[in-house]
Amino acid sequence: MPDAVSLDVVIKIVESIFQTMMEVEVSVSELALVPTGDRITAAVYLDGDWNGAVSIECSHPQACSFAGSFLGMDAPESVDDDVQDALGELANMIGGNIKSVIGTDIRLSMPSVIDGNDYTVRVCGGCIENKIAFQFAGGTFWVVIIGKEKLRIRELPHAELQEQVM
Amino acid sequence: MNKALVVDDSKTIRMILRRMLKEVGFEVCKEALAVMDGEQDVVTLVLADWNMPEMNGLELLKRLRQRSELSSLKVVMVTTEAETGHMNSAMEAGANEYVMKPFTKDILLEKLSRIGVLPMACA
Repeated sequence: MPDAVSLDVVIKIVESIFQTMMEVEVSVSELALVPTGDRITAAVYLDGDWNGAVSIECSHPQACSFAGSFLGMDAPESVDDDVQDALGELANMIGGNIKSVIGTDIRLSMPSVIDGNDYTVRVCGGCIENKIAFQFAGGTFWVVIIGKEKLRIRELPHAELQEQVM
Repeated sequence: MNKALVVDDSKTIRMILRRMLKEVGFEVCKEALAVMDGEQDVVTLVLADWNMPEMNGLELLKRLRQRSELSSLKVVMVTTEAETGHMNSAMEAGANEYVMKPFTKDILLEKLSRIGVLPMACA
């Protein structure tokens, strides 16, 4: 499992992305991930100094809500291309920002999206899994990190880095 | 009117950036070829992602900088690639500014103001 410092940085990254891009306040929750009903997962894959995947998983209504906030419009009534793209972009931002603090030689994949009600996500060789629950006004969603090795933070989190280059 | 082009494989980011740019007075092109073919004299700003299929943003930047007739074009990288090495590579290749995702409208406008492409009313 990632150590406490690593986990804390991941949490700050997720909170910062939701606040900055959508003005949505999220905070860590203790709720366990129990997949039920229609849900959607967006993932990016990292390979290089650290190998694994970072994904975000939520219900359909939550994904629609995120897309509406992200795009500054009414939330779509059902999962469509816009919703899938928005969730993929969220995964891309979370994975990209984690990538930037854990290694210098890591490649980030394009996001992929899985949508349905009976699926599991596995990363071959990924033996260290950490599921972080976040709650917001619309419920709970999860950020899942699956890797072959522990996350080790080497640089400042994004928000501080952004300040540096401003 | 200042004309801008957003190059990102994510429709979400294209929509967000287009909205932000339009709100401050830019006309936003929808065709990437507008920069490379025929309309280069009126496009003043390109916002480009880094990680894209086919051609990444750094390669796009390098190709744009090979075109002497586009020397006045401002190129801003908008990307999750937040490592110092990536930023240095982009700046060395001729990027005018670098915006890391996530970003706010204020952050974007601050960067655009620095490189002198904001419409006068917003600068």
